[in-house]
Amino acid sequence: MTAHFRNLLVTWVLLLVLLGAEFGASFLPLARSDRPLILIPVVLMVAAVGTMFMQVGRGPTIVRLFAVAALVWLCVLLGLGSLDPMTRTDHLVQAANPK
Amino acid sequence: MWLFLATEVLFFGAIVLSWIYCRRWNPAGFDAGAQQTQLGIGTINTVILLTSSLVYSVGLAFIEAGNRRRLIQCCALAWALGLAFLILKFGIEYHKDFAQHLFPGPDFAINGALGGGARLFFVFYFVSTAVHGIHMIGGLILVGWIILRARGDEFSPLYHTPVVVVGLYWSFVDVVWIVLYALIYLVGRGS
Repeated sequence: MTAHFRNLLVTWVLLLVLLGAEFGASFLPLARSDRPLILIPVVLMVAAVGTMFMQVGRGPTIVRLFAVAALVWLCVLLGLGSLDPMTRTDHLVQAANPK
Repeated sequence: MWLFLATEVLFFGAIVLSWIYCRRWNPAGFDAGAQQTQLGIGTINTVILLTSSLVYSVGLAFIEAGNRRRLIQCCALAWALGLAFLILKFGIEYHKDFAQHLFPGPDFAINGALGGGARLFFVFYFVSTAVHGIHMIGGLILVGWIILRARGDEFSPLYHTPVVVVGLYWSFVDVVWIVLYALIYLVGRGS
């Protein structure tokens, strides 16, 4: 019981540290295209909440199955959806002469 | 509940995808919009929600150990923190946003070359935070329902499934905010 409380408290402190890290990183002079790297602590924070507060690993197999399925569907959604904006090349074209 | 949460992941996944598309279209304007957000309020709200999730999880641990009174106290604190989030978000931050003409409309504050991207940002901002706020209100109703049932002595170490299920939802709403906080307040901040 005490160990469980301690784990929850440690998770909360870890979350605050990660929050501070991403907060500080947001002021770094990163290139505009590199700025989404600030989201790396977010992945760790989501994992911490999922494993410690939501206790995904403690649930039965069906719970873990749905949790993994949700992540897979999310990866498919974001992966396929991002293909176009990530790989598109913009070509400037001359406007047609209205004359 | 996990099936419901899986559908919610896809729902909010589409919102994140819209952020990717909107920022790609006009990154400079999109980031100019992000720089107008209230970073202090957003950060305080993030700490509030993280603390709220911790408190609810502690309450769950208490009922697993048979301490119903502590469960009620933890749920009440988690509920109050959730209410504080909503007051900060919709009572103060939205008020400032509207006062600064940041709602996309005819008198929008940012114009010129950055105006289109900034408008897109604030469409994303208002839609995503409003949807999250609706989820928060749902969470407050559920946590309040848990408090009422706990006061009626309905939970024990052997039966407390509703406490677990509502806790999953409460932490999921927290997870959504963790992602939205970074997308709204941080990525465009220093560019």
